[in-house]
Amino acid sequence: MPSKPSPLNSCRSGGCTLTGALSVTTSVVDSATIIHGPAGCAHHNFSLLHATGLDNDRITSLNLFSSGMLEPEVIFGGEDALERAIRRAVRGDYSVVYVLSACIADTIGDDVPAVCRKDWGVPVIPVPTAGFLGGSFQDGVNNALVSIAGTLTGTAERKNGICANIIGEKNLEFEVEENFNEVSRLLSLLGITINVRFIHCAGTGELASLGGATLNVLRDEGMGSLGDLLNRKYGTRAVPAFPAGLSGTLRFLQSAGEIAGTDAVESIAGETGAQASLLEDFSDIAGSSIRFDPVFPGLTDDCSVSEVIERLGLEISLEGVRVPAPLSPPVGTAGVRRLLHRWRRALHA
Amino acid sequence: MKQIALYGKGGIGKSTTSANLSAALSLQGCDVLQIGCDPKRDSTRMLMHGSFIPTVMDLVRERGDANLRKEDIVHTGFNGIRCVEAGGPEPGVGCAGRGIIAAFQLLEKFGALKGDIIVYDVLGDVVCGGFAMPMREGYAQEIYLVTSGELMSLYAANNICKAIKRLSLRAMSTCRLGGVICNARDTPREEELVAEFAKRVNSTLVQYIPRDRIVQLAEMNKQTVMEFAPDSPQAERYRQLAACVTKNTRLSIPTPLEIDALEALALEFM
Repeated sequence: MPSKPSPLNSCRSGGCTLTGALSVTTSVVDSATIIHGPAGCAHHNFSLLHATGLDNDRITSLNLFSSGMLEPEVIFGGEDALERAIRRAVRGDYSVVYVLSACIADTIGDDVPAVCRKDWGVPVIPVPTAGFLGGSFQDGVNNALVSIAGTLTGTAERKNGICANIIGEKNLEFEVEENFNEVSRLLSLLGITINVRFIHCAGTGELASLGGATLNVLRDEGMGSLGDLLNRKYGTRAVPAFPAGLSGTLRFLQSAGEIAGTDAVESIAGETGAQASLLEDFSDIAGSSIRFDPVFPGLTDDCSVSEVIERLGLEISLEGVRVPAPLSPPVGTAGVRRLLHRWRRALHA
Repeated sequence: MKQIALYGKGGIGKSTTSANLSAALSLQGCDVLQIGCDPKRDSTRMLMHGSFIPTVMDLVRERGDANLRKEDIVHTGFNGIRCVEAGGPEPGVGCAGRGIIAAFQLLEKFGALKGDIIVYDVLGDVVCGGFAMPMREGYAQEIYLVTSGELMSLYAANNICKAIKRLSLRAMSTCRLGGVICNARDTPREEELVAEFAKRVNSTLVQYIPRDRIVQLAEMNKQTVMEFAPDSPQAERYRQLAACVTKNTRLSIPTPLEIDALEALALEFM
């Protein structure tokens, strides 16, 4: 029986492995995804992703197929049903088809990789997603990224100029674009441009250039094994996580600069000044008494949040004004600013 | 209506014992239904004079369960015994245990589970919940273990005791161990060993069935011993077993042995 540690620094340590993988594969814009399992698994996940997309002001159009397993497929095996679903999917104009297995398909031992290996005319890539093995949502994300990275055929030829891949963005989180913009801004301070968002709204053509970057920036420390894989495959070292909080942002600049071979001293000095200005901007709430809103659980003891509280001299008290705890550590200086805006609104409400 | 199930290691002679038991019960005047719960589907073959009847799962696969009738799956064999084979998927694919569950649901739907006595002949090891289906509430109340004196056969029987014990602890469970049947392989002191095993798992040896060439002869002639050689000593053993099963009231919750104790027991009788 597997015993898997929770992904570090992640608020999505639970959840469905299949959904996690789906949040990645459906972000490959010219792909289709097959869920090999009962139709309800596809419906449930479609509803979830669609509703989350709407919450985040995005219309999600999912190229999703189901093998529609019923009891006969469970008894007699579901590989024929999967073949039928793949046949349907490859008739569409997709560059690649991903196959995600629901729990029951793995329980009965369908040989999904063998079915995918047949000649379908386009790449058909299996992603391990059976949640009953103990995996979490984040494991599904990681498995999908590893499966996709493992099948890319692009070369490791470096592009001109220093550029970075953004690896494993949390496509369902509300601030996915804001976080990306902040990381891009920080990297630009070091003269680093963006190569590929692996994977956020990218096509297979873009993904093939994954090996061309100077460095990778992982979204989450729980993606270390993916970082290692990319390092082995392309010789690309990785910054282990997005910048978390104030001092975390300065460490991020240091780390990215080291890997890129760029002196980060000036950038760090500039960002330190920007953070001081930020705290000055919120001096009106300095010293306030707050408590985290129990209705919206989030990170309450993360060091990046504690640092903000300390730097502004905020007091945590049972009598304090209820403020929302962040769902994940604030990304960069801009993430801290958005967090403080939310707290200010609560304090001034 | 009495419902019994025969469990034991693969190849130990469950189907031969089941078919002859069904035949003997039928000849005693009972209305008998025998259900083979093994994907290899040969439980009822001797009752059907060598024919492999279509299995419930084969028919579901070919026609879909909505297009099946009771007479498609229930076939009449020797002396009016009704025969059913649950069947299952091709070896190596799918889930045979779920197949057993689905077959039982169909039999329920058709009201086919009726008669004076139902004999379930079940795959050797209770490898998953599906193969424990005959032990569940509403099905077999009496489990008979078919074993020889060989260690692996006793090991399988002991494992089935564990399953019976686990199920018997459930609320409303009526599943109990009815006894142990020794289908001999002519190992030394075999009857004594199996009798002692039965005692240690809190049961009794209900019948010793010696090894006899007449069984193979009957099968070569595609018949049960009860039909092929009704006056043989072997047929008498099956009649005794049928009488014992009919009258048996000593039902127990088994006390399975630890593996060390089982091995020590086998060693005692070497």
